[in-house]
Amino acid sequence: MSLTFAILVGIGMGIVFGFALEKSRVFEPGIIVGQMQMRNFIMLKVFLTAVATGAVVLAVLNGFGFVKLAPKAALYSADIIGGLILGAGIALAGACPGTTLAQVGAGYRDAIFTLIGGLFGAVAYTYAQPALSKTFLAQGGGKIIFSDLIGIPYWIGALVLAAVIVLILVALEAWKPWRDEMGRDVDGDLPAPVSPAVRTQPAE
Amino acid sequence: MLTQKAWSPYLAGVVIGLLQIPAFLLIETALGASSSYVTIGALVASWIDPSILTVKYASSHVAATGKNWWQVALVAGIAVGAFVSMKMSGARRAAISPIWANALGSASPAKRYAVAFFGGFIMLLGARIADGCTSGHGLSGMAQLAVGSTVAVAAMFAGGIATAMLVLRRI
Repeated sequence: MSLTFAILVGIGMGIVFGFALEKSRVFEPGIIVGQMQMRNFIMLKVFLTAVATGAVVLAVLNGFGFVKLAPKAALYSADIIGGLILGAGIALAGACPGTTLAQVGAGYRDAIFTLIGGLFGAVAYTYAQPALSKTFLAQGGGKIIFSDLIGIPYWIGALVLAAVIVLILVALEAWKPWRDEMGRDVDGDLPAPVSPAVRTQPAE
Repeated sequence: MLTQKAWSPYLAGVVIGLLQIPAFLLIETALGASSSYVTIGALVASWIDPSILTVKYASSHVAATGKNWWQVALVAGIAVGAFVSMKMSGARRAAISPIWANALGSASPAKRYAVAFFGGFIMLLGARIADGCTSGHGLSGMAQLAVGSTVAVAAMFAGGIATAMLVLRRI
């Protein structure tokens, strides 16, 4: 794989990724913060659909032996502590590391600050990494996957995961239809719900 | 279709999930985004402090390998794709999303920029500690049934929900 080829593939894939992020509106701060305040579920819908699709794709590719899996090692302390900090950052940035770039592309000026902050954060971690690698954060298990723990082939586990996700999404969509979660300007900025007290006030 | 302002989240999710095919077949890796911040951050930092490249973590991310620069190209492409999609649909965005005035209790751009910078900083600090973000642990790790990634995603949502509920105001 030449460097040029990898970069061209990356740009092509990125454009498709950016298109899908923009069209789904999941890159909108209103959708991401709305998800974290548990009042908008577009982010979960896009995320779970992409996980289920990826699981089916990998069940086929891995099941027929075309590709090897590349799971990350389970470093539980690092996964929990890093995940909590990352989650706090996602709420304050109103973005995740990938959607930050979609926000920049869509013209959100604050996303440039998120991006620069992210680069500083990555550099800060890089300086700290040699010290951190000697702590409990570097300890944990290997590249464990659930299907191995249960003792079933990966492809069966992946298809079961996809099926479970589909059931969750059907229920989620029945509860909160996605069209109702977009907002007038498709940015997840929804009008405040009218409280019963306000609604019962007599009209002028 | 390409000129629509919004797609169903299920259509968009399928498109994103299908990107695992070229990732695994052509690049022999899974979708991810946060490593690219180390590649670019460490490269730029090395212009000021060349000694950062003595840290193996920095030099391995900056190295001219297909995987490193594929991911940088991927996130750059995300910005291009979002820009083109936006232009084709004719959607217009304000410089700052209107939700922030509510969430931060202030319409001050300076306050928003400061919060965005800090949010971005801890976002990448956390992603690098956890060795992955919403893409690497979320999309790719969970699809691969990775135990550590599932733990990381649960922690991300826990941290995100706690912060959005306790620190931000209702949007």
